[in-house]
Amino acid sequence: MSVRPEVFQAIVLLGLASLACRLSGFFLMRYVSITPRVDAWLRSIPIALIGAILGPVAVNGGPPEWLGLIAAVGLMYVTANDFVSTLGACATVALARAALG
Amino acid sequence: MQSPTFTWAGVVDGARKGILIAPTMIAFGIGVGLLAASKGLTVAEIALMSAWVYAGGAQMATLQVWTEPLPLLALVLTVLAMNARYILLSASLRPPFGTLPFWQIYPGLAIFGDGNWMLTMREISEQRRPDAGFLLGSGLVMILPWIGSTVVGHLFGQVIGDPRRFGIDFLLAAFFAVMAVGFFRAARNIAPLIVAIAVAILVQKLVAGPWYLFAGALAGSLAGALHVRKA
Repeated sequence: MSVRPEVFQAIVLLGLASLACRLSGFFLMRYVSITPRVDAWLRSIPIALIGAILGPVAVNGGPPEWLGLIAAVGLMYVTANDFVSTLGACATVALARAALG
Repeated sequence: MQSPTFTWAGVVDGARKGILIAPTMIAFGIGVGLLAASKGLTVAEIALMSAWVYAGGAQMATLQVWTEPLPLLALVLTVLAMNARYILLSASLRPPFGTLPFWQIYPGLAIFGDGNWMLTMREISEQRRPDAGFLLGSGLVMILPWIGSTVVGHLFGQVIGDPRRFGIDFLLAAFFAVMAVGFFRAARNIAPLIVAIAVAILVQKLVAGPWYLFAGALAGSLAGALHVRKA
């Protein structure tokens, strides 16, 4: 249970970089007035992040991952329950991987 | 939009709803702990890193380029590439929470991640009064399992085996696909989604390092700014 000095130094730096990303957006927007256009930009961030995460997952994945994405969306439409839909999609991926090798 | 608040009831509500994401963090954390052990980090070092850097994707990416002597510049750039998207997510919290005193919002900002930010944005989009307690509570139930699971992964990772077998590596993607349903209904505009997907895929192919998340989210959201909703 020890922390080497050079590792400690690296972790401190990496954490500062991480914290700067988390705090700076909120802080800097203090100096930007929220016009309708800026508001439209900020409101589009959730759906854009969803696309940026799922696009590469779909392209890099195979049939199990594609079935998983379809299951997640389908289950959410039917059940409207986050938990059931998320776990159902993972179960679909696990089963598809087992079935398709 | 209603004026924001910070309540302890919000902290509890955030913790209750945020629990959904904890299994994702645990599965991912075990993987990061296992990788840290293979790179020669001690248990104390990975616990410290998980608490202070606290970013699953960034820790995974930095550990992949982790060699001794430590390439400090490359490590910092990797964290910035992976976490630049947080600048956008953090900026999006300004309109709902901008009028709060700093001590009510900055603790939640310091420990937010993709999953609990997304839950918080959904609460706000469902016309609830923005409650910074929700951001903090949902963040707390993510960071604590995260630290614990990276330690467990470091100590016992080889016994647990490959989490892919259980589809656990798909949890985050599944969660985002589920969240997409609600936001897609609310947005009425598919341009940000299409642009984000296209740019993320292209940048991942063309640019080294994990810049594709930030590039996709930035390009997609800017596409959304072209379309100003009439009041």
